[in-house]
Parts: sequence; C-alpha cells; structure tokens
Amino acid sequence: MNSKLQFLGETGILLSSDLAKYPFLPESAEEIKRLDFKIEDVLEPNYASILDRAEKRIVEALTSNPPEVSYDPSADVNVEILSFPMAIVLASATASDYIKRRYALAEARRAYNLLKIESEEKVIEVAKRFGWRIRLASIEIGLEKFDFALHFIDYLKSATTLFHEKGWKLVNRLVVRGEVYLSKQDVARLLQEEIRRHIELKIDPKMRSLIPEGIIKRADSLKMMYAEKIKEEPLTIEGLASPDIEVNLFPPCVRGLYEAALSGRHIPHIGRFTLTSFLLNIGIDPNFIVDLFRKSADFNERMTRYQIEHIAGQRGSRTKYIPPKCDTLQTHGLCPGMDELCRRIKHPLTYYLRRKRRRVSGA
Amino acid sequence: MAELDNTLFIREMFSKFYSENFNRIEIPKSIENREFGFTLFRENVMIRHKSFSRADDLRDFIKKSVPSNAYYSSAYYNMPEAKMDEKGWLGSDLFFDIDADHIPTKCNKEHDSWICKSCGFKGRGRTPEKCPNCGNEGFEEKTWPCEICLEAAKLETIKLIDILLEDLGFSADEIKCSFSGHRGYHICIESEEVLGLDTFARKEIVDYVTGTGIDVTLHGLNEVRSRGSRIITGPSLGDAGWRGRAARGTYDFLLTATIEDLRSLGLRKDIAIEIIEKREAILESWRGGGPWSVISGLGVKSWEKIILHGLSLQSARVDTVVTVDVHRLIRLPGTLHGKTGLLKVSFPASRIEEFDPLKEAVAFKGGEVKIYVEEAPEFRFGDEVFGPFERQVVALPIQAALFLLCKGAARVVD
Ligand code: SF4
Ligand SMILES: [Zn+2]
Ligand SMILES: [Zn+2]
Repeated sequence: MNSKLQFLGETGILLSSDLAKYPFLPESAEEIKRLDFKIEDVLEPNYASILDRAEKRIVEALTSNPPEVSYDPSADVNVEILSFPMAIVLASATASDYIKRRYALAEARRAYNLLKIESEEKVIEVAKRFGWRIRLASIEIGLEKFDFALHFIDYLKSATTLFHEKGWKLVNRLVVRGEVYLSKQDVARLLQEEIRRHIELKIDPKMRSLIPEGIIKRADSLKMMYAEKIKEEPLTIEGLASPDIEVNLFPPCVRGLYEAALSGRHIPHIGRFTLTSFLLNIGIDPNFIVDLFRKSADFNERMTRYQIEHIAGQRGSRTKYIPPKCDTLQTHGLCPGMDELCRRIKHPLTYYLRRKRRRVSGA
Repeated sequence: MAELDNTLFIREMFSKFYSENFNRIEIPKSIENREFGFTLFRENVMIRHKSFSRADDLRDFIKKSVPSNAYYSSAYYNMPEAKMDEKGWLGSDLFFDIDADHIPTKCNKEHDSWICKSCGFKGRGRTPEKCPNCGNEGFEEKTWPCEICLEAAKLETIKLIDILLEDLGFSADEIKCSFSGHRGYHICIESEEVLGLDTFARKEIVDYVTGTGIDVTLHGLNEVRSRGSRIITGPSLGDAGWRGRAARGTYDFLLTATIEDLRSLGLRKDIAIEIIEKREAILESWRGGGPWSVISGLGVKSWEKIILHGLSLQSARVDTVVTVDVHRLIRLPGTLHGKTGLLKVSFPASRIEEFDPLKEAVAFKGGEVKIYVEEAPEFRFGDEVFGPFERQVVALPIQAALFLLCKGAARVVD
C-alpha cells in the first residue's frame, strides 16, 4: 500500500553495517552510487562474490522453510549491500511470480528477526523511511510494556494483512489520542509487512528485457536448478475463473478469501477451511481447489490435498463439513462488513443460494 | 386524488423553502469530484451520477428541480458522472451513520409498525427479517422520530464523538456532526489522511467504535497462578482506550445489575446472589486494584462475560455497512428530508449535548394549514406540542402539517 521509501539525508544514525542488515533502505542506493557500481560490472570476475551472494539470497529463500535469507555479521559489508539490488535484478530476470513472493518474504523475515533485537532508535529510523509517524513511548500499563507509539492511520495501513488475527485488530490494541502503543516485536512484525510489500514492488518481470544477457543466463539456470521448489501455478487467473465459479454470487467474506487465494496472500486456517468447505458445498471439484491454493507461498500439495479431501468427507470421518456460520466468521474477523443481503442471512451458503435463486427467478 | 394533492402541497412547500433558503444548502468540499443523486416527487426513481462544478450550479439545480431528497457521495471521483466502475475513485470521507432503526428502544412498539408487501400481515415495533405469515421479505415501514428514540441516537453519537476524540485523536473541528432530518445523526470526517483508507481499514475503525471482536484478555484481564492461589487482575477505571472503557462499563453495569441481569449472562445463581450481596465491596474495590478478586468463586471466564456486557454499554452503535462502503451516497446537509419535511442540519461536535433536533431542524416558521389526520402520537417542534390525533381535522403550523403529510399520516383538506 504505502511503499515509497524516503531518503532522509545523512542522519549519522545508520552505519554501513546497518545497511548490510537492511539493504532495502534508500541509503543503500546512495552507497551504491558512491561505489560507482553498475549492473554490467557484476559479470566481471572481481565482482563475482556479489553475484554469488545475490544468487545465494534467492536460493536461501527457495530452500529454507519458513523462508528466510541468512545474516552473517562477519560477512563483507559491501558484498551484503550490493548483492541485494543484484538479487532484485536476478529475481526480476526469472520472471517468476513465485520467486518474487518467496524472495520478498524471505528478506522481510530476515529483517524482522534483526529488528526484533535492534536498538529502539534504529527501529525508529527504519520505520521513518516508510513514512511512519512513530515515536518512543516507553510506558507500562498493567503487566504490559509498550516501547513505541505509532499513528493509528499508519498502523491501519501497515497491518492490513494481519487483521484476521485477533491480536492485530485495532480494537484489541491500546489506542490513545490517535496513536497505537506497541512493543518492539510488534513494530518489527509490522515492518516485516512493509518490507515484503516494498520488495515485491521492486521485483519487476518487465525489467527482463533490459537485463544483460549474462545475468539472464544465470537467472534461467537458477530456475532450472530449483524447478522442483518453484511451485508456479499451472493455470492462469483467467483459467481459474472457470465458468462454473460465479464469484459475483459469493458473499463478501468468501469473495475476499477467494481473491486472497488467487493472489497468493496468506490465509489463516479458519479462512482456508471456510473457503474450501464453501467451494466443495457448491460443487466445485477438489482438484480445482488444490490448484487454487497452489499460488500461496507456503503451498504444500500433499497437505492441501489431504485437508481438502478431509473436508469433503473422503478421508477419515465420513461427515461432510459445511462452512462456519456468519457469527463465527465475525468473531474470527473474517466478515468484511455486511451488505444488504448479509443482514438477512446467518450463513454464507444461504447468501449464495439466495443470490442464485434470485438471479434465476428474477429474469 | 388526495395522494396527488398531498404530493403537490409537499412539493410546493419544498420549493418555497429552496427559493428562500438556497444559501443554507451546504456545499461539500471538492464539489467537482463528488457524485450527486436526487429523488423527485413525480417519478419514484433515483437520479444518480450527476455532478456540478460550482456551488451555484448545485443550488440552482435544487431550486429548479425541487427534489424530495438530495444526496452526495462521500467519495471523490475523477469523473463523477461516469458509470460506477469508470468513475476513478480518488478517496472517501470517513462517515458514520447512527440511526434509531439500529438501536433497540422500548418505545418502538408504540410508534413503529410494518406491513408485509406480499400478504398484508401487520405488526408493531422493529421490522422482522421475514414475514411471520408468508415468509417474504418486503415491507412497508412506518417509523417515528420520537423523542426517546432521538435521545437514544444522541447518546450513541456522544459515545462515538468521545471515541473519535480520545482514542483516535481527531480534533473537535474535524468531526462534522449533523442531524439526519429523521431518526439519527451523521458524523463525517474529511481530513486528508482518512481519504485513502480502504474498506478493510474502515472496517477496523468501525469495529473499534462498536467494540466488535474485542478480547478482554488483551485489555488487561489476566489470571496469575502462584503457589496454589490465583490472582485475577483487570483494567482500571482511569485506563486509556478500551481498557478504561472495559473497567467503566463493568462498574456501570454492576452498579445497578439485578440477579436476573447476571443470570442472563449465564452466571450461576449462587454467584449472582453473592455479587449482589457484595455490591458495596465491589464498587469500593475500584479505588484499589478493582473487584477481580472480591468474589472467590468468580473466575476469569465469568468476569469475561460481565466485562463484555459492560463494554456493550460503552460502544457506539453505528451502522457498519455505511462506514465500510466507500461509494455511499449521503443526504446533503441543508436540504429537506422527504420523509419528514425536516432539515438535515449541521452543528459543531461541541454542541451535541445541548442540541435539540426537534427545534433546530425546523425549516418553516409559523403559518397555518388545515389537514385531516388519520392517526398520530403526540409530537413536538420547538416548544410547541401537538397531538395525539385520531381521525380528525386540525389546523397546524406549516412544519407540523408538512411533517404529518410527509409521514403519510394525514391529507390536505380544502
Ligand atoms: S455476514 Fe455472513 S455472509 Fe455476509 S460477509 Fe459476513 S460472514 Fe459473510
Ligand atoms: Zn407476508
Ligand atoms: Zn421511540
């Protein structure tokens, strides 16, 4: 959402060792300018270490689980800084949506783990680069300690992918005079989301045509080598919207989950259960549902298949599951607000059946 | 014939108002980016997708066409006249709607009624979801802006304003209040930083003000076990945010709770009795660490039920759908409400306590009109009280007569 990074000039607070930790910061770009480094250079033998590390960043993203790029405090600072934009180029060159999301997540998780143990001042410096209005708070209420106060609008924008978790709902936060009080861990988690979105935006498959031949070759062989790990979806989005799926008749909750699945966003367990049981109940083929979830960064085909067949009643218990009722979905934060029809029903399946009926009879 | 005469009369009054008071029509910020919509007296359809580049154009249009209702979009569009998906959404004000329809009051049985459009089955009070007789869903509703209902709506508005100021940090100047002209209040925030919020962010805000999805264990309710004994801790009266509201709501509830109230939350009878017996000690305990350990048999789960009930008294009942909808049309302030003939009036948030809707929304002073009233409970405008009326001809000031005509409770007589 809010991903324009701001270069705030020389603050003196962030050292080059910090940029090695957080190479996505705009200061890194300044550093690269200072070193007078160009993409083509990387193919020269004395820059081999940079291209190698760039490649390793992506390989680590593909092979670790949960995905995380490693951090080595003794690594060469310049190599760490320069290998990040190089990895972005490499990831763009693969033109793989899966690599893009997986790599962005792996870098963001790396930053999260570093920020969690970072000094308050530096956390604030990083947060400010994302335009956050944040300050040190350091207060204790009851048994809790809050280190930071963040403007609630900035909170809402950065936490947007987390609202389905009870603890991240605004109503379960301490909000005073327009500020949300947060622990360092909370701030690090929110920054992880910002960083992930920022990196996803930076990786641009359209860049491929501008990338030097030698790097394209590296990207292609990387893709080949890890083909097993890359779970590219076999169907396109258009292909997925098969004529049997009338998304416009779905209730808002299921439509949201369906779209989240299509775009590979993280869906909590109850959300997956809701979507899967809903689709099965309206007669969608289980194989199609497996393909739907294929996009997600933590996709595991065997597990997904098992869950879907379990819900469909083909395995284990013979009972067929139906999606949770509206009030259950509401308490889990999965009801995105009701529309007029929602007010008159208590179950998402009823919503669908009404819509369908109305469309047939109301011609 | 009578229907027509009524409509003609109402339209004539609206026309008179707009030609004399067109300056009262409030012009929304960035008028050129707003969509406008109107209903006319003749056809019963909504004209949508209108736009005006200047304040005078809008005022002229209203003066000439005399709409029965006038609306504008809370959203800003690149091309407000285009079709919905081609308008180019630029942002939207943060809007809250508080309506007596969503607040259960005891009096709605006395003045509200409904008739099933399919089978004619009638009932009083809040409209059901489905007709109990035939199961269909369309109803003809009659609601009344009674004083008690309007007070209830005002109380919710006061709570909302408090949350917007104290928790969300808006300034009193940013919070634009108005009386809807019927049974509720509107609050609109046009500040730059809320404009770009998406539906999900607005949902979080509306959940915040309504206390939806709240978990009291995340607001201080806690059980600590040490060496076989357990200590329960909870929020304090002076805490900020929902913590403090949780405590204050609990205090308020236990101040007057009866055994039945407590039983209806699912508490055991002996515990309910003990709470009532120890009421003084409970209330007194707030000076210290709170009542959490005063009743030995009362565990975290039961406290949770009590606090949640207390919280519900502190939350502001706003219509969720309206706030999360970023394409909503909203009644234009300074125009007349077609169902009442009353004005939608704006006022500063600081005046909410003293604001009297039945005085300040009066659009017509004096005059006298003879009408036949079918049935109407007692009602008031300003300091004058009218009714109750039942099948009788009466002479009333214009506003009172217009109101009954708009409500469909009367007809004009020569
Ligand atoms: S009310 Fe029910 S059907 Fe509608 S969005 Fe919410 S959970 Fe879904
Ligand atoms: Zn009926
Ligand atoms: Zn009433």
